[in-house]
Amino acid sequence: MSNTGSFEQRSLQAGIVGETMTPVTRKMPGTDPPAWPTNAELHVVGKDVPRMDALDKVTGRARYTFDVQLPGMLYARAINSTVPHARIKSIDTSLVERYPGVRAVHVLERLTMAAQLRDPGAEANEPYPVIRFTGQPIAAVAAISARAAEAAAQLIRIEYEPLPHVTELDQAMQTNAPAVFPGPTEQASSAGGGGAPRGLPQKGNLRGPSKSGSHGDIGRGFRDADVVVEGEYRTQVQTHTPLEAHGIVADWRDDELTLYASTQHVFSVREEAAEIFELPQEKIRVISDYTGGGFGAKYGVGNYGTLAIHLSRKAGAPVRLVLDRREEHVSVGNRPSSLQRLKIGAKRDGTLTAIELHSFGSGGVAAGAGVGSCHHNMYPCPNVSIEHYDVFTNAGPCAAFRGPGQTQGIFAFEQAIDAVAARLQMDPVALRNKIDTRDADDVRARAAERRIGAEKFGWSRRSAPGSDSGPIKRGMGMAQSMWPYIVNGYTTCEVRISGDGAVDAFCGTQDIGTGTRTVFAQVVAEELGLQPEAIDVHVGDTRFPPGPPSGGSRVTSSLTPAARNAAYAAARDIANRVAPLLSAKGEELVFRGGRIEKRDDPAVSLGFAEALRRAGVESLVHRADRRDDYEGYAHKAGDLHISPHAIGGVQFAEVSVDTETGVVKVERVLAVHDCGRPINPKLVESQILGGVIQGVSYALYEDRRLDAATGVQLNANIDQYKMVGSRETPQIEVHVIELLGRQSSTDARGVAEPANVATAAAIANAFFNATGKRIYTLPMTPANVLAALRSEQP
Amino acid sequence: MKSFEWVDAKSVEQAAALLAATSAREPVVAKAGGMDLLDLMKEGIVQPSRVVNLKSIRSLDDIQLDRSGMQLGALVTLARIERDAGLRSHYRALAEAAGHAATPQVRNAATIGGNLLQRPRCWYFRNEHFHQVAKADHSEHQHHAIFDNQQTVMVHASTLATPLLAYDASVHLTLGHGSSRTVLLKDFLLPPAMERDRDTLIADGEILTDVRVPAIQANTRCAYHKQTERDSYDWPICDVAVVLQMNGAVVANAKIVLGWVAPTPRRAVDAEEILVGREIDEQSAIEAAAAAVQAATPLAKNAYKVDVLRAVVKRTILAAR
Amino acid sequence: MSVATHHPLADSSDSIGPEPRPLSLLVNGKVCTALADPATTLVEFLRDALGLTGTKIGCDRGACSACTVWIDGEVAASCMTLAFDARAHSITTIEGLAPDGQLHSVQRAFIEHDALQCGFCTPGMVMSCAHLVNKNPDCTLDDVKAAISGHLCRCGTYPNIFKATLAAAAEARADESGGSK
Repeated sequence: MSNTGSFEQRSLQAGIVGETMTPVTRKMPGTDPPAWPTNAELHVVGKDVPRMDALDKVTGRARYTFDVQLPGMLYARAINSTVPHARIKSIDTSLVERYPGVRAVHVLERLTMAAQLRDPGAEANEPYPVIRFTGQPIAAVAAISARAAEAAAQLIRIEYEPLPHVTELDQAMQTNAPAVFPGPTEQASSAGGGGAPRGLPQKGNLRGPSKSGSHGDIGRGFRDADVVVEGEYRTQVQTHTPLEAHGIVADWRDDELTLYASTQHVFSVREEAAEIFELPQEKIRVISDYTGGGFGAKYGVGNYGTLAIHLSRKAGAPVRLVLDRREEHVSVGNRPSSLQRLKIGAKRDGTLTAIELHSFGSGGVAAGAGVGSCHHNMYPCPNVSIEHYDVFTNAGPCAAFRGPGQTQGIFAFEQAIDAVAARLQMDPVALRNKIDTRDADDVRARAAERRIGAEKFGWSRRSAPGSDSGPIKRGMGMAQSMWPYIVNGYTTCEVRISGDGAVDAFCGTQDIGTGTRTVFAQVVAEELGLQPEAIDVHVGDTRFPPGPPSGGSRVTSSLTPAARNAAYAAARDIANRVAPLLSAKGEELVFRGGRIEKRDDPAVSLGFAEALRRAGVESLVHRADRRDDYEGYAHKAGDLHISPHAIGGVQFAEVSVDTETGVVKVERVLAVHDCGRPINPKLVESQILGGVIQGVSYALYEDRRLDAATGVQLNANIDQYKMVGSRETPQIEVHVIELLGRQSSTDARGVAEPANVATAAAIANAFFNATGKRIYTLPMTPANVLAALRSEQP
Repeated sequence: MKSFEWVDAKSVEQAAALLAATSAREPVVAKAGGMDLLDLMKEGIVQPSRVVNLKSIRSLDDIQLDRSGMQLGALVTLARIERDAGLRSHYRALAEAAGHAATPQVRNAATIGGNLLQRPRCWYFRNEHFHQVAKADHSEHQHHAIFDNQQTVMVHASTLATPLLAYDASVHLTLGHGSSRTVLLKDFLLPPAMERDRDTLIADGEILTDVRVPAIQANTRCAYHKQTERDSYDWPICDVAVVLQMNGAVVANAKIVLGWVAPTPRRAVDAEEILVGREIDEQSAIEAAAAAVQAATPLAKNAYKVDVLRAVVKRTILAAR
Repeated sequence: MSVATHHPLADSSDSIGPEPRPLSLLVNGKVCTALADPATTLVEFLRDALGLTGTKIGCDRGACSACTVWIDGEVAASCMTLAFDARAHSITTIEGLAPDGQLHSVQRAFIEHDALQCGFCTPGMVMSCAHLVNKNPDCTLDDVKAAISGHLCRCGTYPNIFKATLAAAAEARADESGGSK
């Protein structure tokens, strides 16, 4: 949003609470409220307020898109490709249409999510989108029952002209490999991030290199090095597997479209639907009361949502299209694989002289398989050379996934740093103390986190690599996290106060389980001196003011300052109206404990509701936008604002490795994190637990397996696509520091992604400490572990 | 899942008669707990015209335990096998296998009959694509057989079969009109096949009514271990049952059965021979384990299973000590 | 819809389907009747026919246990249970756990310990944990892990579910000893 209006300089104390606080001067809008003190001095913010929607969730009353049942609603079933690469010569839907109970059939005209040909002419004469992966959506049918839709879907007749295909990264990189696309491609980013730099060269399936982040002279960097470590790391494809699959209920009537969507961003759904169906945005309403997990894959209407909307328009009835588990695994996103050749040079004292990365990643038919930014912006290094290639394969498209790129990148990079430490016979924590020296909040946070973490974890008890005798070996490792501090510029909150004291707070952003409703209520309640339960929070609806996507760890950082500023404006408005009743000036009144009272004389007070009534207030409405950070941004692209500061985090892991069976167990994890001001420490802890557990799951189990001959995902289910369950959950301790950066009126930042990106690397480093062998390949299944243990390579 | 006609069988005879009327065009299938059948129907691999519900038959869910041995009705659930105190005290390996199968929810419904008759868990087999669109080449065989894998690389899915074979169990089959037969489990189980509609000797119109296990000799020790990647709920890399009949400290007779490593659970005869006449200690267990995997012919992606199996055989022998 | 012809061997009175017919089930203490064909799973019947959408479907194969209900007081995967197999049994769903608005101690503990994030696995988790606490108030951490060993929570709420369930169990023990005084 624009930052017009007057600005003023204010002096504030910034830093880590309980460590060092230093005076800083910030230039901020004059309308912004005074800076909050530390959490200890606040009443509602910084407290473990129970989730506002917990009651609805434990009783089954929470209504997900999956649960939406509308009168006359039809059930849709998608029809997906059974071949990995083909031209479609013809599609005959006549039998489908004639099946009893069928109300509409639609064939998809254009495939989204996948990369698009730079020159669409190459396929301009194709009657249908070319099939590039097994499971690619082609059409859908809507019928009066799910059973009828399923039976009808079987009756479609599709004539394919098969084309050669390739599903494995290594094969797809060969010059003679079948080409997934007939020419160069572009991949726009989605609201969830992703995308690939424009205009890169493409040869066959190799698109790149992207050299973003490279600087200095890499040859000189290695000449200056006393030690060089080198390794080839591989990470697998991970699928998001939200427990609620992607789903939409589309209700098109009289040129007004209502969409109930399981989504991480209602506005992205509206935007994409408006574009595809050429509707003005105000004709579309998107509602998302509850979303059963997303992790990066749920943005926009997507191909299945598009099909549902077409079906609703054709049938003149609401249509429910919810993916089955197989479709969810195959075609709506995944974390791309990677092959990373990483070489690092360092001086004897640990100073980094050279970082060289050649990386290849496959997001199937989508580009955007980079491996993060850690190589060039985590530790200062004068010579960095990065060459990244996207490798197309005939597999489902990738999408943003919790810490996209960075999770893969840190797995290799923080292992390589660990290897430098081992080579220099330095403690890995001490090496980071030496090299983690940029001038930014996250760097200062990690310094504290390393110190706190090492002590809490018992790091000093760590023994030399492979010291345990016997087949089961234990070890400790640590790794660092870094994730950009992102703000969504286009964020507005509205606070409405009725004469009876009822407070409603509105923002269109959605709560996908991160606790958005709760932190929203806390911030408004703090400003109005009320309890959070007194705030009726309304989210997940495009009719409300615009709000951020639930991705990029940016909701709390974007929403809470706007919420506070709106509540603050409302409070000042009320104070001015109530002041005469208390023979005071507006600025003398404060809101505390459900009352409005004189700051210096609390006996002069009125209850909140009574004050409004006596002041004759009928209703007040105040809106505030997310203003720019007080220190500005390092990077701004549309709504996406990135701070010069990042979010840190340090994780410690202890593992046991059964060297006979190859079974790895993560015994315990200590996660020490920063997220600016923790608005609700309990919810922050929950986010971090989730990040760690997904990290363990990625490190040890998850692995999408495709059959090379058919492109079929063999484990597109929950039992063979293995994830952490109750018994694989380590003992996890979370410690969160309170970092007041003084960049916004709440100091809040996100934590979902930084909590995830370091886990696999910490576990891998613990594996090395346990066994004396590096694990270069994820996941750490018995097959990969036994291979690593038998390898000649250290 | 397509709808079908449902019949509540009143007796084994009636059920057998109904099942005998099966045909390729109008398949008739039996249902007990329904766990495997629902899986196959949801995948479109089995599309019966008629389902014969066996759960409406009384007297198929008894556990009879006496000096002559044990008889388990086909409808006895895995949860009961896991918890029955008498069963556990005599046939601990079986109770352990039942307790480590599937999830608590599934164990409450799944029956021993259904468990033995279930189809392979091979991820090619379980995907309708490889029944209707393309042939399976089983190139992703990391969970597949490391023994006897020339004809098929699929492994039988039942983990209860592993200890039952070590206990020399048989199944009792009834064919309507009063005729019945008892078949040793080792003969009953067949190497899985994609094309067939069953992986056992059971005939059309036959009902598996009970599982019979001979009495346990005095001085018998047994152990069972299912090795998985995860502990929460997982299919095995391998499972091993060991039943040792002791003569003092010395093994008089040994039964070692290896599951999920061959098309059907495999007796490790060479390993058994090594143990007979010896005490169980680290050395004899290591030797037996080495013998157990000696004939392995692993495939490109499942050699790790040989190592895992060797370790599990050793550990299970030692656990039976 | 399959159109199986009628087999001569079946007594027509024993035969159901393939067309839908009225099915009555005892759900949360009430007899509920709706049309269902034999291929209808219990979870479909609960959600689509009875509108009890608290019970979720995550995998539809009995591998995530989001669909957990109680059948005669024991945990069951309602996606792997045919509705007709639930005849003559008593079904309890998440909606029936706190019928009078009085939350089960496990539900209260889940709220207090933040044992939920997106909440989609929560009804199933609550049903398994409430079952455990009812049956075994002396349960240990390992018992809790075993009780939910078939459940998937993709958000990673397991540690808080452990805490919540053990807290509810402790409360149940305190209630018991208090009641016996």
